Amino acid sequence: MHHSIELVDVHVHFGNVAVLAGVNVLASPCEFIAVVGENGAGKTTLLKVANGTVRPQRGQVKVLGFDLSENHHGHAVRKEIGLVPQRAVSHRFPICVQEAVLMGRYGKIGLIRRPGRADREKAYEAMKAAGVVQFSKKLVHELSGGQQQKVALARALAQEPSILLLDEPTTYLDRESSSEIMETLHCIHHQRGLTTLLVSHDPQWIDPYCDKVYLLKDRKSHLVTKPSPSVQTLCRNSDEGTERRHQEL
Amino acid sequence: MGFGQLLSYPFMQHAIVAVLFAGIAFPLIGVFILSLNLVPLRFAMMHMALLGGAVGLFLKVDPLLPGLLFCSLSSMALGPVSERMKLGLGTLSGYLMTLSLALAFILFYKGNIHVVQAFGILWGNILSLTLRDLLLVIGVSVLILGMVLLFFKEIQAILYDREVALAVGLPEKKLYYVMVFVLGLSVAASMRMIGALLIDAFILLPAIAANLISRSLKQVFLFSSLFGLMSGFIGLYLSFLLDLPTSSAIILVASAIIGFCFLIQRRVGFRAKVMSDRMGL
Repeated sequence: MHHSIELVDVHVHFGNVAVLAGVNVLASPCEFIAVVGENGAGKTTLLKVANGTVRPQRGQVKVLGFDLSENHHGHAVRKEIGLVPQRAVSHRFPICVQEAVLMGRYGKIGLIRRPGRADREKAYEAMKAAGVVQFSKKLVHELSGGQQQKVALARALAQEPSILLLDEPTTYLDRESSSEIMETLHCIHHQRGLTTLLVSHDPQWIDPYCDKVYLLKDRKSHLVTKPSPSVQTLCRNSDEGTERRHQEL
Repeated sequence: MGFGQLLSYPFMQHAIVAVLFAGIAFPLIGVFILSLNLVPLRFAMMHMALLGGAVGLFLKVDPLLPGLLFCSLSSMALGPVSERMKLGLGTLSGYLMTLSLALAFILFYKGNIHVVQAFGILWGNILSLTLRDLLLVIGVSVLILGMVLLFFKEIQAILYDREVALAVGLPEKKLYYVMVFVLGLSVAASMRMIGALLIDAFILLPAIAANLISRSLKQVFLFSSLFGLMSGFIGLYLSFLLDLPTSSAIILVASAIIGFCFLIQRRVGFRAKVMSDRMGL
């Protein structure tokens, strides 16, 4: 069966530190996959492997049929992958939402060439889908965390990707904003027929959105079915951990 | 002798042409430095330029050429080396800065280099530019302007977020290294004009002022160039009027522009927003 994303026995280590040690993740076209794990489990590294920005020391990585293990195709594949990073941009860069979303088209436009009318229309459609059209003229750093996350999502959509990768999309968001962004994501996933891979340390937002869930633990991945004791245990531990952090603060 | 009469002299004409080109182009590099947090790298380049100048004086050749060579080589190497060695750019820049300063002073001492010659590298003198110096300034300025005009959207993405630039499919690393290399060239080209220690007059200060009042990258670039021109020409004129060192006068004017922008940033930010909305800048 043809998979959009195939990570087979992937091993990644930075220096002497093993981050991933035998990870297997398979995503079929139009599937919504979640990878959950505690902080420091290697979730972001897994996304970077799927995006071609980190090469594994061992294992096979195939995305949209391209073998990324040898790093020949990373540049071309990234144009087909919309990545929503975890953090909002930290510095106060003077860019409005419209320009930030249009940036998603830059890889497809090519070097030197300017964005055309078609690119601006696609960026506008992406802003509409993500629900940020009303902020199009505002500077990105003037928006709230949730709004900035939607802008990042719109930029990824403007690329017209086949695959959407999301790194902790609900981190730094309150419950209402988290629910809103997951609903938006779910709609977009179905409307555009995307393959979506989301990583999170907070599994409470996974059900009912995801088709498949992997648990990243001890540097390995474990496919779990919903509902399952593992996911529920992780939910329980996650809630207890959050409560403890609030008390400490 | 009036300022107008001075304009008929070649040294003054060279100075005005240098200010014209450097004032427009070099502040654009300052925008790169601020957005990419390359301030430590800039310090390292300044000291490499000083070391190159010291080597030139020691070998009794034109200090500009070794300065250009040292800046170019270090700017080509710093980016890749820091990433391969997993060292922060600040750490590597600090190491190079200190080492190059020590080596420069050893060369001054061992070469019996007169303090006036040594200070010449540190402070520069825009009124002593030769035709070759001027051609270097013009060449580097045209390169900077060409790069910014041709690759504006790519530069915008990298300055916004390197990770995003990579994620949307741009050749982020190659472009970043080119930007760092051009930074090294502009530092070397500034050395004779404004001195290794005072290059911020043209490179950093106008960009700092522009950042205070701009609402888009286009505005940052435009205001940086405007403030670079203003500080260059007004500084040149004031140095003649008040008998001040030219480099210092330019820095004083650039600093005053920053102060002015800081005071009016809210008001001008609103006007810049109107300009942004109406003119698409």
